[in-house]
Amino acid sequence: MEQATNGKLNKKLLQKILNFYFIYALITLIVVGPIFYLVSNKLYEEEADEDLHVLKEQFHAFTKDELTIEEIDQWNKYNRDVKIEKFTGNLKDSLFNHSYYDALNKDNEPFRVINSPLKIEDKWFTFSARINMVEKENLIGSTVILFISLLLLLFLGFFIITKIISSKLWLPFYKALEKLEQFEIDKTTSVKLIENTTEEFDRLNKVIIKLINKNSSIYNSQKEFIENAAHELQTPIAIFKGKIENILQRKDLNEEQFKIIDDLNNTTSRLVKLNKNLLVLSKIESNSYTEKQQVDVYDIIHNQISFFNEQAKSKDIDIIINCNEKVIVNANPFLVETLINNLFINTINHNINGGQINVTITSKKILFSNTGVLMPLKTEKMFERFSKSNPSSKGNGLGLSIIKKIVDANNWSIKYSFDESLHSFEVTF
Amino acid sequence: MKILIIEDEPEILESIFTYLKTNEIHCESANSFENAYEKIMLYNYDCILLDLMLPDGDGFSILKELKKLNKSDGVIIISAKETLETKIEGFTLGADDYLTKPFHLSELLVRIQALVRRKQFNGSNIVKFNEIEIDTISKVVKVNGSKIDFTKTEIDLLLFLIGNKDKILSKGAIAEHLSGDMADMLDNHDFIYAHIKNLKKKLKETGASDYLKSVYGTGYKWEVE
Repeated sequence: MEQATNGKLNKKLLQKILNFYFIYALITLIVVGPIFYLVSNKLYEEEADEDLHVLKEQFHAFTKDELTIEEIDQWNKYNRDVKIEKFTGNLKDSLFNHSYYDALNKDNEPFRVINSPLKIEDKWFTFSARINMVEKENLIGSTVILFISLLLLLFLGFFIITKIISSKLWLPFYKALEKLEQFEIDKTTSVKLIENTTEEFDRLNKVIIKLINKNSSIYNSQKEFIENAAHELQTPIAIFKGKIENILQRKDLNEEQFKIIDDLNNTTSRLVKLNKNLLVLSKIESNSYTEKQQVDVYDIIHNQISFFNEQAKSKDIDIIINCNEKVIVNANPFLVETLINNLFINTINHNINGGQINVTITSKKILFSNTGVLMPLKTEKMFERFSKSNPSSKGNGLGLSIIKKIVDANNWSIKYSFDESLHSFEVTF
Repeated sequence: MKILIIEDEPEILESIFTYLKTNEIHCESANSFENAYEKIMLYNYDCILLDLMLPDGDGFSILKELKKLNKSDGVIIISAKETLETKIEGFTLGADDYLTKPFHLSELLVRIQALVRRKQFNGSNIVKFNEIEIDTISKVVKVNGSKIDFTKTEIDLLLFLIGNKDKILSKGAIAEHLSGDMADMLDNHDFIYAHIKNLKKKLKETGASDYLKSVYGTGYKWEVE
């Protein structure tokens, strides 16, 4: 599995564990290496000493009594490693290391030597036996090679084991992680995780499922609440509206009363619109508009252009439409219509008198630009419900969030930009 | 004109009653499926206003019963439900129009009038008001017999005003009538000024009386002297 996070320094847990193992193995081997060398060297020497003692004992047991002083030269001539030499004056056995030049190898060779006092025909000699030892450098070299091989072997083992662990034991964890990454509260309906026998992962899965289910149910009830509330409000609003319209017809109203009632009437209309927009929003969220078909974006604009022109004309706004290519999208027609109409009406509502609107349609994009306030809009909360650039405006602050919801529902993207006094919204299909 | 309002919400019923009664429309009401069924069996109506959610059944069953009884009463569904599916089902079952709650009573009135005109269609479909004559099919307006060039919107506006004669119409109601489905997006209703101005001007030029009056600067009224 690839590293999904963008962390440059983030390492996988297993890799981290592997690193610790490796460091531990390295330290252990570095510490143990010299000890191993010293111990094996010591053992080797002890073994050599024992052999030398055996040689001495054997000489004493089998050779000494038969050897005469005259034969010593003869003996020395034919024995390279056991010699009888002039008495050193030492009456005790002495064991030591000594290097001798080896004429065959043309090199100094290390030897373990025993010097032991020897009496032949009442004359003291020194018995000297030697055993060729392994050169120190060779021993160190071998030890190092051994330990490096061991380290490599360990590391390879760790690596393979980690791989296996990661692909088998940690699989449920990575799958759960992947599911969580894909989880979107407004889209994902249910999450299935791999069952597993590892206690920790089983716990993790249970917690994730519990968390997701709880959040989803809260989210759904919230969503339903908005939809139900908006729906339930329709009847009282209808009653209110009907009554107001009837009062407006009364002949005995004076101007002041009439204006109050007319204001109430207009406010009711705003309430109606707000309610309808809330309904549209919650319906998009609850996936009520799923039926898709091929929709020609230009057709939608074309069908409504007279309405937009009419609206624009009352503010002296020029509309310029550039359409070079046909844009056919596969989406719910109502949603595409709502998207385009909302974007279009936005360019009119937030325009200035005598302003301009440019609509550009290219194969994959539609761009609405309009003149308006001379500074860029604050983008961070732009698409949130009830966020308005101008709090006193009559808009209900739902237009852009409806646009955003539609864009999201279709996996399209929307981008706002401000350039040379033009506010632009670009939808990429 | 006799209409039946099938609606279980008494307040809404009363508002519709009050608004329509001054326009020579005789209204009867039914507040349940049973009650409504009885009435459609016994009488013929020019138009039936049908709420889809009734305490003892849904409005679609009324449409089915009308079909079974072979009745040709015009039906306008008035419902808070506004999904495309409900609308399609309503039309398939024989409804003639669909008005989503909440609506303007002025809008309801012209819809009833239009439906009744269509139902009583006898070759031409003419709305007459004194010297003004509008053919709603060929979209021709004549004043004192001579044709005047009106735009589609102006004819629509004229029909709306005449249909609601002697009633005060708010700017909002006019704007929403003219913009249809797009009404929900309007922030401002100023676009109607241009249409009102043009309509008044054209009518004046052809010598029609000045029926269209502004009421306290914010509403309009088609006044029958």
